Amino acid sequence: MSPSPDQAEAAAGRLRDTIAAQFGRSLHIRTLDTGSCAVCEQEIRLLSAPHYDLNRLGFFFTPAPRHADLLLVTGPMVRAFDGAARKTYEAMPGPKVVVATGACALGGVYPKDPFVHGNVGEVLPVDVWIPGCPPSPLALLQGLAVAVGRLAERIPGLTFIADGGAA
Amino acid sequence: MPLWFIRGLRRGVVTTRYPARRDDSAACLPTPPAFRPRQLTIQAADRMVAVCPSAALSRRDDILVFDVGACTACGKCAAVAPDAVAQSEDFELATTARSALIKKIPIRGGER
Repeated sequence: MSPSPDQAEAAAGRLRDTIAAQFGRSLHIRTLDTGSCAVCEQEIRLLSAPHYDLNRLGFFFTPAPRHADLLLVTGPMVRAFDGAARKTYEAMPGPKVVVATGACALGGVYPKDPFVHGNVGEVLPVDVWIPGCPPSPLALLQGLAVAVGRLAERIPGLTFIADGGAA
Repeated sequence: MPLWFIRGLRRGVVTTRYPARRDDSAACLPTPPAFRPRQLTIQAADRMVAVCPSAALSRRDDILVFDVGACTACGKCAAVAPDAVAQSEDFELATTARSALIKKIPIRGGER
């Protein structure tokens, strides 16, 4: 029996509360490269550097998807990687969060063609999208904080209209 | 000794918050463009759509549709229409809804 939309929404709300309560100050991250140029990976690596130091915020990298709460996906999702991506996602214990990172993963750089899906959302259920090419470490930190509900999103308030021309 | 270390010892909290203040290094980062609708003409918009390498821009009548998620902040739109484009200096763009990243810019420049 499939749940009604109300029940599904209530379940989603409970899951969000669970994520905030359980992951708020201890979240383990597994990165997944689905064909990126590796610049997103450079920025992700910088998160461990003293200037950004993601451990102080309660985020940690883990080498195994079985230990991970959050999957940080980069790259345009090459089709050859479908099986591995699904296996990685299925190996993670629930509740789990998928974060698409960078313009490739968000569907910007590579159009859909026989080699790439062009968008991580085609294969995995993405919860948070982090734009940028590459996203700077601070943008990544903000994305992780949004993913665990510690920070509100800023994007709905941004218009990308410069001052003086808003009228 | 840093203050946060003493505070951590006293309170037993070992994690900190996301930086409350804006990071100055953001000024050196390439950020997605912000547009000036009054300087933006149909012709300029079409030039920008043509040069955008990641198909982040498209034009729908007198609306320039800007997909922030697809933007690579390469600056080519600013090169073909320097009057109409500025740096947005916004980089904290994470969102839970992909559709929130698609922005509509009115085109108000040119003859009416």
